[in-house]
Amino acid sequence: MRLVSISMRNLRIRLVATVLTATSIIVATALYAAILTMAEQTKARYEGSIGGFQAIAGPNGASELELVLNTIFNVGEAPGLIPLEVCQKLRAGRGIGRRSQVRYAIPQARGDSISSFNFPVIATIDEMFTKFEWKRAPLQFDEGGPFSFSYAQLIEMAEQLVIYENALRAEVKPEDRPQRPLLQKSWRKCVIGARVARALGLELGQVVTPVHGKVGEFGSHEHPEASCEIVGILAPTNSPIDSTIYLPLGIHLLIDGHEQGVFIAPQIPGKSPAQIESMPTNVGRIGLTAVIADPKDHMGPQILRREFGSHPEAQVAWPQDVVPKFLRQIGNAADALAVIAWLVLLVAAVSITVAIYNTMNERRREIAIMRSLGARSVQILTIITAEAALLSFFGAVLGLILCHVASYALQGLVEDRTGVFLDWAQVRLWELWLLGGVTSLGALAGLAPAVKGSMTQVADNLAQNY
Amino acid sequence: MIHLRDVTKSYSRGEQAVLACAVDRLDIDSGEQVALVGRSGTGKTTLLHILAGILRPDRGEVEIVGQRLEQMGESARDRHRGRHIGMVYQTFNLLQPFTALENVLMGALFGRGADGDARLRAEALLQKVGLADRMHHRPSELSVGQVQRVAICRALVNDPELVLMDEPLGNQDKATGGQVLDLMLQIAADDHKTVVMVTHDPESAARMQRTVDLSTLRGQEVSR
Repeated sequence: MRLVSISMRNLRIRLVATVLTATSIIVATALYAAILTMAEQTKARYEGSIGGFQAIAGPNGASELELVLNTIFNVGEAPGLIPLEVCQKLRAGRGIGRRSQVRYAIPQARGDSISSFNFPVIATIDEMFTKFEWKRAPLQFDEGGPFSFSYAQLIEMAEQLVIYENALRAEVKPEDRPQRPLLQKSWRKCVIGARVARALGLELGQVVTPVHGKVGEFGSHEHPEASCEIVGILAPTNSPIDSTIYLPLGIHLLIDGHEQGVFIAPQIPGKSPAQIESMPTNVGRIGLTAVIADPKDHMGPQILRREFGSHPEAQVAWPQDVVPKFLRQIGNAADALAVIAWLVLLVAAVSITVAIYNTMNERRREIAIMRSLGARSVQILTIITAEAALLSFFGAVLGLILCHVASYALQGLVEDRTGVFLDWAQVRLWELWLLGGVTSLGALAGLAPAVKGSMTQVADNLAQNY
Repeated sequence: MIHLRDVTKSYSRGEQAVLACAVDRLDIDSGEQVALVGRSGTGKTTLLHILAGILRPDRGEVEIVGQRLEQMGESARDRHRGRHIGMVYQTFNLLQPFTALENVLMGALFGRGADGDARLRAEALLQKVGLADRMHHRPSELSVGQVQRVAICRALVNDPELVLMDEPLGNQDKATGGQVLDLMLQIAADDHKTVVMVTHDPESAARMQRTVDLSTLRGQEVSR
């Protein structure tokens, strides 16, 4: 028998009070652990996910943060469209970025998704798998390989679309109009991220059908004509790439219902929208949600900054600048929440003090008996303090378990809403510190009743029957 | 074993000091079995608490098992009590949430330590008093006689030189209580332990080798 066995027994015989008091510790610990987990995993996720995305060109109206969050982290809706000519100029080394000589400029268009997980569908070109570098190396495949849809095919298809579109605008009779480009069977291939494959149990050769918008939302509908065969499954990157489906940009532009959004109308002073609508368009006016680019040298970013600074339709965002600022903001918010969580813990500690203090009167005889058996004041102090510490320890353990269970349960929701993947199974070093901190706080909370208990008058209390 | 000289203990009641106990001289040898008798209010229990080191006298000398208790601090007196003194109370004072064995081990925990040997000793004592099959029962599941025997085992678990008993038969019928007391005194005699018992009961007092009446004489000894 040890002193701690007496403390354990005391907690057990006051089970209801113990459970109620422990609940406040559980909630406070879980809250604090959840805040730390979110802050830490958000930081890891966002810092770890920008490797490879050097520059993002997107529409002018959006904030840089919005652009980065949507393009890299699949958060929120695409903030608008930019014309393909931005990508053309970046690639050609003329106009915008003519001196920057980007290593790659890959067009992207998004807006569709698959499954109830709402995995985003990104339409792009094959350079996403051949030139784009994820942490200084091309994306690796676990199975299969990339689809085949090159930039040249995009431009060729876009030119046919322009001819068709201009015939429509010129109100050419249907029988005289050129044919709308057809969806090539060879384009109907897609590459999926590791998490998509794992979550949906998808394998090579299976077919996925994109849904316009988000699955389950009002107005969403399937695009059966754009169903694609899976030809490649990417190796895990522990980034939002794992949750993405990549398909050829040609499919995206030719999907039924996308016609209205394929071309962006330029803003021309003195012309009404209707007049602009009837004017001939060109390949450069095809709309994209973003272009991801990588300048070749250290001068590139400065040149792009200057030239995009005055661009009427596009801007460039730098994830390496935007993400740390964003994380600092999150960090400040997390700090504020952590203070609240500590206050909740403090309140829980006070509840321990009150709960144990209130039992001291009814325990005077029990303490007097132990003292009469030779228990020293310090041993009584230890028993009562250990009670409070044990209560806090078990509360903290359960709180941490609750945090992990909640991370598991809310994993999908959190990733969908914030792009942060909660690794529920990972146990971190700070959890041990938190456990120690909460236990110590509990022990401190038990000191006041412990002092009172250790000062119990032995002779007086032995003589009385309560 | 026990030597008291000019011991007094008073309590303050409001502004008044009430003399609770006064002993001019008391000597008890090792292995003696002594009954402390006297009218209510003569300070029998107070004296017992002074002998145990629970109370410190206002003045006088208290030497127990070779130690001057009045010169010791509270913590040292607690340690001394745990190691050298066993106590049995009128209400037995077992801790209700704990089993018979745990109650006995509690005595060891605050005495010489509740290690494996203490457990063996506790089990042997419970067996000796006929409670082998009741070791894991709580006090509420035992009869009064059984509770008394558990209290005796708890008092003896540290193999103390001195056993103090405060009205140990107070809560039960004389026949049963007498048998248990005899058992206790027999164990004490076998192990040459000193026993001091506070009692109102002349029959119980008659079982002891010597009687000290606190009500008629301030600590003067009365032989049987």
